[in-house]
Amino acid sequence: MESQQLGRMPYFYGPEGALVQVDFALEAVNRGSTTIGIRTDEYAILASQLKPTRALVDPAEKIYQIDEHLGATGAGYIGDVMKLIQELRLQAQKHRLTFDSPVDVKTASEELSSYLHQYTLYAVRPLGASIIIAGRDPLGLQMYQVDPSGTYFRGSGFAIGSGSERSLEVIQRGYKPNMPLEELVNLGTTAIKTVTQDESQIEFGLVSNTTSRFEKLTSPIPTVR
Amino acid sequence: MTTIVGILCKDGVVLSSDRRASKGFFIGSKITQKILRIDDSLAVAIAGQVSDAEYLVNAVRAERALVTLQRGYPLTVKETTKLISNVAYQGMKSYQPYFAEFIVAGVDATSPHVYVTDMSGSVSAENFVSSGSGSPIAYGVLESNYKENMTIEQARILGTNAVQAAMERDPGSGDGIDVVAIASALLIKEVKVA
Repeated sequence: MESQQLGRMPYFYGPEGALVQVDFALEAVNRGSTTIGIRTDEYAILASQLKPTRALVDPAEKIYQIDEHLGATGAGYIGDVMKLIQELRLQAQKHRLTFDSPVDVKTASEELSSYLHQYTLYAVRPLGASIIIAGRDPLGLQMYQVDPSGTYFRGSGFAIGSGSERSLEVIQRGYKPNMPLEELVNLGTTAIKTVTQDESQIEFGLVSNTTSRFEKLTSPIPTVR
Repeated sequence: MTTIVGILCKDGVVLSSDRRASKGFFIGSKITQKILRIDDSLAVAIAGQVSDAEYLVNAVRAERALVTLQRGYPLTVKETTKLISNVAYQGMKSYQPYFAEFIVAGVDATSPHVYVTDMSGSVSAENFVSSGSGSPIAYGVLESNYKENMTIEQARILGTNAVQAAMERDPGSGDGIDVVAIASALLIKEVKVA
């Protein structure tokens, strides 16, 4: 490791002022499965590629229900993704206990952001996972992306994981703020299929402006067999 | 001691109170303010130990400002009441209770609300409510004269009459009446979220 050659501890700034550990964490996210989020006037969808597994092994769940009105997905080390999902679920329930109201999407994202930020300050391994959060609150439909550095963005189109740059281009080209649901799901599918180029399954999550509820669109993992 | 009253109206909320602060059988102050402003859309009427009540109201005012900045829209009246009740409940459970009752009245994005919370941490939404040593007398007036969908002006008169009646016979209440009204029409545009 370059930083060790220079006699530096790897969790401090590199010679160029970069937080090397955080950069490596972002690199880990870029190796993850392709995962996207698109928000229109009426809907926000989350979609993630399910990595093909060995025979007889179910693929890991990638779209997560956080609360009635809130869902999330992630890319990177699946263990790290799960840890962040648990943190989100915990914060959502804590908010209900403290305020007797559902957490707003920005607050949930900021809680996650400050959790991740802690891992950039100390001699620990920053979590190698980015999360996309979508939900409905009194400010309307909202979508955020949170990175291992603790940085978060609010927006209408996000892509993380391997090939995310090309995937985001597809979304940017096809995006219309008023597109119907079917077209939106197709755009999400194309954005992922362009990059993965195989028959891997995609999991979808949807939150709509009218119902204010987040739900997984289809469960590709049969519950009874 | 004290008499405080909160009334929910169709166009806002009204709080009224007396001005007496008692120190046992001695009148400690004749100009006590028992209705505390949180911000333009919310006020709290307090009964009980003044120091405990003011401490909680100040803490909640700060928390409300922080949450508004962080999430981009203000706390609802219910959320604000819950903040007070959380601390009150913890106080009761750790044998160091806050000796106070609060009538939280205000207007949020949806509508006007009146909530009451006490030292046990319970929260309830009310159409009209009274607290303090004069409340049994005030309730006599409120029960026989409250109607649903009152205007602020009607509620102002009712609130004043209820506190006035209590001051006539309750030695813990007296020295004049304060009234605060918060009108939805003046606020709802400001408070309403985008």
